[in-house]
Amino acid sequence: CNKELDEVNINPNAPEIPQPDYLLTGTTKTTADTYWGGTNNMNSSLLFAQHWAKVQYTEEDRFIFSNSSFTSLWSTGYAQSIAGFNKIIELGDAQGNPNYRGVALVLRSWVFLLLTDAYGDIPYSQAGKIKQFVTPVYDKQKDVYYGILNDLKTAQAALDPASGKVISGDVIYSGNIALWKKFANSLRLRIALRIADKEPAKSKQVIDEILAEGGTYINSKSENAQLFYSDSPQQNPVAASFETRNDYRISKTIVDKLFALNDPRLPIYASKTDNATPQTYVGIPNGSTNSEASAIGLANSSRPGTYFLAPKAPAVIFSYAELLFDRAEAAARGFTTENAADLYKQAIRASFDQYSIGGSAVDDYINQASVQYDAGNYKKSIGEQKWIALFGQGLEAWAEQRRLDYPQLTASVNTVLSGKIPVRFIYPGTEQSLNGQNYKNAVSSQGADLLTTKLWFDAF
Amino acid sequence: QNVTVTGTVKSADGETLPGVSIFIKETRQTTISDGKGVFSISAPDQGTLVFSYIGFKTQEIQINKNAGPISVILQSSDNALDEVVVTALGISRQKKSLGYAVQELKGQDLAEAKESNLVNALAGKIAGVRVTNSQGSMGSSRVVIRGETSIAGNNQPLFVVDGIPVDNSQLNSAGARDYANAISDINPEDIESISVLKGPNAAALYGSRAAAGVILIKTKTGKSKKGLGIDINSNAVLETLLTLPVYQNAFGQGSEGKFSYVDGAGKGINDGVDESWGPKLDGRLIPQFFSKGVAVPFIAHPDNVRDFFQTGYSLNNGVSVADAGEKYDYRISYNNLKQVGIVPNSGQGKNSFVLNTSLKITPKLTLTANANYSKLNSDNLPGTGGSRSTSTMLQFTWFGRQVDINQLKNYLDENGKTFNWNNSYYSNPYWVAYENTVSQNRSRIIGSLALNYKIIDGLDFNFRSGTDYYNDRRKVRIAYGTNGTPFGSYTESAFTVSENNTDATLNFNKQLNDDFSLELLGGGNIRRQYIEQNDQSAPKLAIAGLYTLKNSRDPLISSNNLSRLKSYSIYASGQIGFRNYLFANITARNDWSSTLPAQNRSYFYPSFNGSFVATEAFDIKSETLNYLKIRGGWSKVGKDADPYRLINTYAFSAPFNANPQLTTSNIDLNPNLKPETTTSTELGVEAVFFNKRLRFDLSAYNTNSYNQILAADVSQSTGFSSKLLNAGKINNKGIEAQLGITPIKKQFTWDIDFNFAANRSRVIELDAEKLLTNYIVATNSAQVIATVGQPYGSLFGTAFLRDGNGNIIVNATGAPATNPTKQVLGKYTPDWIGGVYNTFTYKGISLGVLVDASIGGSIYNGTYATGTYTGVLASTLPGRAAEYGGISYYYPDNKKENGTVRVNGTAPTGVTVYDDGIVFDGVTADGKRNEKILPAQQYYKTFRNIDEANIFDASYVKLREVKLSYNLPAKWIRPLSLQGVSVSLVGRNLWIIHRNTVDIDPEVAFNTGNGQGLESLSNPSTRSYGINLNVKF
Repeated sequence: CNKELDEVNINPNAPEIPQPDYLLTGTTKTTADTYWGGTNNMNSSLLFAQHWAKVQYTEEDRFIFSNSSFTSLWSTGYAQSIAGFNKIIELGDAQGNPNYRGVALVLRSWVFLLLTDAYGDIPYSQAGKIKQFVTPVYDKQKDVYYGILNDLKTAQAALDPASGKVISGDVIYSGNIALWKKFANSLRLRIALRIADKEPAKSKQVIDEILAEGGTYINSKSENAQLFYSDSPQQNPVAASFETRNDYRISKTIVDKLFALNDPRLPIYASKTDNATPQTYVGIPNGSTNSEASAIGLANSSRPGTYFLAPKAPAVIFSYAELLFDRAEAAARGFTTENAADLYKQAIRASFDQYSIGGSAVDDYINQASVQYDAGNYKKSIGEQKWIALFGQGLEAWAEQRRLDYPQLTASVNTVLSGKIPVRFIYPGTEQSLNGQNYKNAVSSQGADLLTTKLWFDAF
Repeated sequence: QNVTVTGTVKSADGETLPGVSIFIKETRQTTISDGKGVFSISAPDQGTLVFSYIGFKTQEIQINKNAGPISVILQSSDNALDEVVVTALGISRQKKSLGYAVQELKGQDLAEAKESNLVNALAGKIAGVRVTNSQGSMGSSRVVIRGETSIAGNNQPLFVVDGIPVDNSQLNSAGARDYANAISDINPEDIESISVLKGPNAAALYGSRAAAGVILIKTKTGKSKKGLGIDINSNAVLETLLTLPVYQNAFGQGSEGKFSYVDGAGKGINDGVDESWGPKLDGRLIPQFFSKGVAVPFIAHPDNVRDFFQTGYSLNNGVSVADAGEKYDYRISYNNLKQVGIVPNSGQGKNSFVLNTSLKITPKLTLTANANYSKLNSDNLPGTGGSRSTSTMLQFTWFGRQVDINQLKNYLDENGKTFNWNNSYYSNPYWVAYENTVSQNRSRIIGSLALNYKIIDGLDFNFRSGTDYYNDRRKVRIAYGTNGTPFGSYTESAFTVSENNTDATLNFNKQLNDDFSLELLGGGNIRRQYIEQNDQSAPKLAIAGLYTLKNSRDPLISSNNLSRLKSYSIYASGQIGFRNYLFANITARNDWSSTLPAQNRSYFYPSFNGSFVATEAFDIKSETLNYLKIRGGWSKVGKDADPYRLINTYAFSAPFNANPQLTTSNIDLNPNLKPETTTSTELGVEAVFFNKRLRFDLSAYNTNSYNQILAADVSQSTGFSSKLLNAGKINNKGIEAQLGITPIKKQFTWDIDFNFAANRSRVIELDAEKLLTNYIVATNSAQVIATVGQPYGSLFGTAFLRDGNGNIIVNATGAPATNPTKQVLGKYTPDWIGGVYNTFTYKGISLGVLVDASIGGSIYNGTYATGTYTGVLASTLPGRAAEYGGISYYYPDNKKENGTVRVNGTAPTGVTVYDDGIVFDGVTADGKRNEKILPAQQYYKTFRNIDEANIFDASYVKLREVKLSYNLPAKWIRPLSLQGVSVSLVGRNLWIIHRNTVDIDPEVAFNTGNGQGLESLSNPSTRSYGINLNVKF
């Protein structure tokens, strides 16, 4: 009767062995939802970067958080994204298709990057290996960056457009392996700069390696790494939020900046106020109390622009504009011999182009004194313009603002961190109970588990 | 020389008794009386006949060949010495022969003090049985016997109806409703008796599902009729609020004392705010939601929440016909229940038909067939919990205290749009009640066929096959225009549940000689379980008001799930009795379950127990000590896993741009699972003193459960949220006592029945490697966890930060700081539970009063946490204004960033003085007394994120039941050709005599799972009172 009872216990609801293409779609989509969604983007990093502000229930904008506030990047990042990409690597290997391995490794590296940029020290070397490690140790942030740089190099080598091994289920590049190679290199460049204040030699070494490999980067807006959403219920998470809630507005900080620079991206980034207002576009000051925000009113302040509220709007992972800013900075730091000022201008043009803004407005804008590249303070020029260009990409904008320290943002008096803006996420409270010793070790190595504890990469 | 003895057996009140066992002492031959109580047996002259029957005293009669047909009258038994009880697998045993505690409840108690969920009827009456009632009379109830023995699994007992294990799941689906647990389908009127087998010692023969105990329900069968054999029962009950949060009526909607309505969604001053931190309710003139911009008096409506609720009622009418003859018996009953809930537009109806019949095909072969069909119908169940579009109390805990609920009754404005006091988060509460409905429709049949064949005297073969099968469909409507769901939605869920059990057994009973008796049983069981769930949802409706899945704007979201389980078992039990005072019992069972891997599939478990009746052994015949029995036993039971817990799978979600999607599972399954094991030792004493005026039963038990199958949460950095382990060890030990006293026993009788139970649980280990210290059972701000070294069900959450002396430390703003490390803040399980049932009887009148108590344990009070944050509760009044003790303060230069300064004497000119200052009683980080003044609103809002502030002692004492019954005297009703008339007045849950929580009923539960103790905006609990009329024709 054993055989009969075995058959009764075969799960009829879900496969035991997944297809890699289906898993690739599912895992990529889940990851993008978390990256672009409420907890990690709208309700935290976009507020810290002062792209967005809250107009109702402003506690998060005043940095009132608990250790259960930042669980979703961790839980989805590890238990869905990294676990899923690991399985795709395994399935790709089993099928003898190195392109699945390469793509999954690139995406997994991106997830590890999001995690370490937000939390600092994180499980990396022992992560996602439950059969060996039930309580994975936390690796130092430097080791995580070094590790994923290595992984990306491996991925880059594994990805082979000429191999004839096709992949399916790729909702970012539709199976174009050559673009995956470019994306992998672009991420390497991003990370090289992330650690540039701490380990400049390593940064240069990474960039040199890419060049030595003959590698290329994302080279046009059509090569942006992004996921285009679809109609409801597969709509963009921002669109989904605004369908049922009305909690967010554009930040006064960026509205003021865009006004000051006479920036044509303002009508893209912000919606007109519901009630006619003299300024047409009104931001909410970050860190307003509920009553201050409601005194301005829902109808007298601007939602983010309709471009961002559209159901099919993309979740942008890596844009051509960012890549050009990265190359400009690499040049400014002397890692390459390219022309920093020229790349800086190209980057601004690429950002305008991302929203299909062209013509003379672009030249007028670039030639303003307040926009022109300042070689003496490249961090200010690149920092401010990159911050504007990364609008909506909360986690990346926040990481770069912390690293470059431009634009210089200030916290409202109503915030609760003694005038500071959060520089990291708090670890999920469950880590204290489920991985207590390693958590304690991480805290004693990195510093108290607070929003204000600076991470290793954030040198200044 | 043998003679043929014939006769009739009757009870003292003249009813004929079928099925009485008649036994010839000398020859050990047996027979039983037929449907009319008639028997016939061949026996030696001058021999002795022994008559025994459940619930009656055993009687011996000497045969006299010249006496002719004999008439035997059996006296009903109130003596532990003769009591016969139903034990595992429906086997009747003399209570004195058992080595464990069994307690019974008679059907009449259930029928008179009617509860629509029969689990509630157990509350307070049986030692060691803990019932947590849900919200109102239509929801779920949870029952646990002797504490939680499984860390992650089901801790509720197995329910068995007439030998057929039946389902008692609470199947949850969309719509935020507290769906009733499935055993509530059984109509209390049809129950003859309930026998509670507490834990594995009593229930070992039931195998896998015995660890949590078994509740055996025996339904009524046909008896030889007196009169027409028709029984009519009619019951009407009113239901009203028992508890409601205590609200403040001094301040209305708004924030920082300001409010003015324009659109209720932020266009006015704080009019999108759904909290009561607004202006004083002093009659000042402010535009409000109903006044179309006109400033009207801002006044309190203290009963605005109470007035939303209505008086609920239930009408329960049943009729049954029963008869029995020489070769047959039958009972047919029909019952109709109509219930209207306290939440407007909520209610349900139930119809049930029961047929119990048996037929003696040949003198040796008897066929028994039972069928119980029930149909539950509800157009709308009361909304619970925290969902904006469907719940009831969410909106009243985020509320404006000035809102006049009567202004909301017409929930549409002149444009046909929903009309409400707040439009940023909520739809009108009547809209929610009338438009956003959740219906339920369950059809169920529990049926069985049984054959009994007497092979030879003393040896029977039994075969029984029974099925519990039901369909449960729910339809969830969210109307177009509902706040937060502008396009509405429509969801259908359907469950099909089937449980089939087939048993074949051989029974052998023999009195071996004058000293020894022997009873043996051997048998086998095949069990099949099938549960299917189908969900379909239209996430946005295409057009308003049409609820069908085709009316969808977006692609339908569907999911289905099928679960199958099969097991084979063989079992045996035996009892050897010595001279009627020393008994030894043994059971053994082996199961093979489909849910375990082949190598661990087969598991064996035995039990032993014995009893010693000292009064009989030493022939004590004293008026002081009537009866003394000592008992004890040891048992082991195994438990299998849920289906499909061996190999990881990948879940589908809806295709994205024509790409099918799979995602990884959050749980790492385990291909090497072993069965869970529970061992239990039990000792007990039963004693009767003073001519039965004092009755005493004490049990002590120690239960260890190990190799528990649990999905232990692991750090998600492992790639999974949890890992299925065969680990974990939990110990429960406890005592139970029942004490019966009869202080007065004359024409007027007073009986007092006490029951008491204390259980101590301790989680000993979660995994062998000791990597895991906490298992999270449930989360809702605070968590319920199992943590090593603590009792099961610890409440775990954020706590105040304290210094070495226990003073609470404040942060720079003067608000209490949160301890960055979460703490164990209590446990939800009580220290002890108990009840006192007083019965006063005089002639035909009897009065029963039940008071029960649950002492110790804690509850996270979600209503208090939210209501403190929103300022609606009376507990937020202190300090809110000068007259409530508020401190006067100002901001230098009127700038809030300058911080608060206390007004000592007079404030500087030009600054605004506020009088709602509160200083939190704590110390600063450097140990100084806190002096920072916080505005009341800020002060009260700090506590929501500190779970410790919202955890209360859950103890309560309740007046559970008062029942006054009157049996009309025979001389009044006989002339009317009636056999019996009784009238009862019954009140249930009448009064919370004592509680230590505010704003909620500490007993309230939200579901039947293990995650208790987390209250979350529950509906108020209710009291009920009604009348029951029973007429027998």
